Amino acid sequence: MTEHVLDELDAYALGALDRAEAERVAQHLSTCASCRNEAAALAEVVGALPDTVPLREPRPALRDRLLEAAKADVRSPVRGAAARRWSVGAVRPWRLAVAAVGAVVIVLGAADIDAYRRLVAVTAERDAYNKTIESIREGARTWYMAGLGSFSGSGGTLYDPRAPGKRPFVLFHDLPPIAEGKVLTIWLVSPDGTWARAATFRPSGEDIQVIEINSEVAGFDRCAVTLDDAPWGKHGTVVMESRIAPPTPAP
Amino acid sequence: MPGLQPPDDALLSALAARDLGALAALYDRYGHLAYSLAYRILGESEAAEDVVQDAFLSAWRGAGTYRRERGTPRAWLLSIVHHRAVDILRRKTTFRPAPLELAEAQPSDDDTALTAEKNVEHRTVRDALEALPQAQRRTIELAYFGGYTHVELSELMGVPLGTVKGRMRIGLQKMRRALERTR
Ligand SMILES: [Zn+2]
Repeated sequence: MTEHVLDELDAYALGALDRAEAERVAQHLSTCASCRNEAAALAEVVGALPDTVPLREPRPALRDRLLEAAKADVRSPVRGAAARRWSVGAVRPWRLAVAAVGAVVIVLGAADIDAYRRLVAVTAERDAYNKTIESIREGARTWYMAGLGSFSGSGGTLYDPRAPGKRPFVLFHDLPPIAEGKVLTIWLVSPDGTWARAATFRPSGEDIQVIEINSEVAGFDRCAVTLDDAPWGKHGTVVMESRIAPPTPAP
Repeated sequence: MPGLQPPDDALLSALAARDLGALAALYDRYGHLAYSLAYRILGESEAAEDVVQDAFLSAWRGAGTYRRERGTPRAWLLSIVHHRAVDILRRKTTFRPAPLELAEAQPSDDDTALTAEKNVEHRTVRDALEALPQAQRRTIELAYFGGYTHVELSELMGVPLGTVKGRMRIGLQKMRRALERTR
């Protein structure tokens, strides 16, 4: 376990650490229950600060805009039955193409449905698919993680869009089911070998699954997924890992 | 009126199950608070609206990754809003003028702001914050609403980093005790 971080927890709770410091604290919190308890208590105090702000009403149009965007998200085929339908009997590059289209939708914003439809139309061709990948790459960094052992055949691509307001996310394909009580953890590995927990989740059973990363990420050059007993503590078996630092070639 | 509305946890589970009604309910519950927070940080309505939409969409997509032990759904949602607003603030300019006067002027604010809820808990938080010695209160406000890191605050306020940390520590502990008394 790394050194306790009690000295940094107030600034951490207030969001007043730079990325590297915040990562170091988050890393320690993933292994230390006493610091974690203190951090949770401080988060509650800080979480009350918004109550000191003068209340304002956003324009009513914001509600409609939000629900429209979320609705478009639901209709987006990567998340529903359509994704399964497309992938039945398909070869792996084709499945990855579907995954890539999903990524484009998220990077562009789900509201851009027309652009999405055009992309669906072109991804039938492998060459066009490669072009699509190129366009995703504009500004975005990606890492492909290949499944190992019982996870072979599955994989995931970490996208770091690096655009204002866009968070990194991982697009998984073909995740196998895991035992009751187990969880999967996405790790960001920095060049010095530090592992930082980025997200914890369970497979949804769908062919394609998107996991958004809410934590700060910076300064990592590899990523991995482990199969764990709990969303904290030391990590378990590595079931997926990126082999190459970016920029990775299209799979 | 407890019992009439679904609790936040239930809304978040429904969100994870792609229930648009739950998203609408969550927005109706916290949309104005989220917007008020984003506006307080960014100072402009369009950017604040973008942050709110972005944060709720992120919750919509990421509800499955929410873990109760990290905090309440409300705290989780507001932390996404805070995080993104501060992110934009930090990206917008490397040097942010010290909004000390701004922070001072906030309580009276302009007439477009609605009067804050006459809610006991809200009052307690405001009173607790206002009761802090000015140096502690400014440190907390500039960090949380101004997006300054503790190192930047040390330079801005011309005090050692240890002093900044101490002000944060003591200020937050006082607020914590004040909040505990009401719960
Ligand atoms: Zn510790």
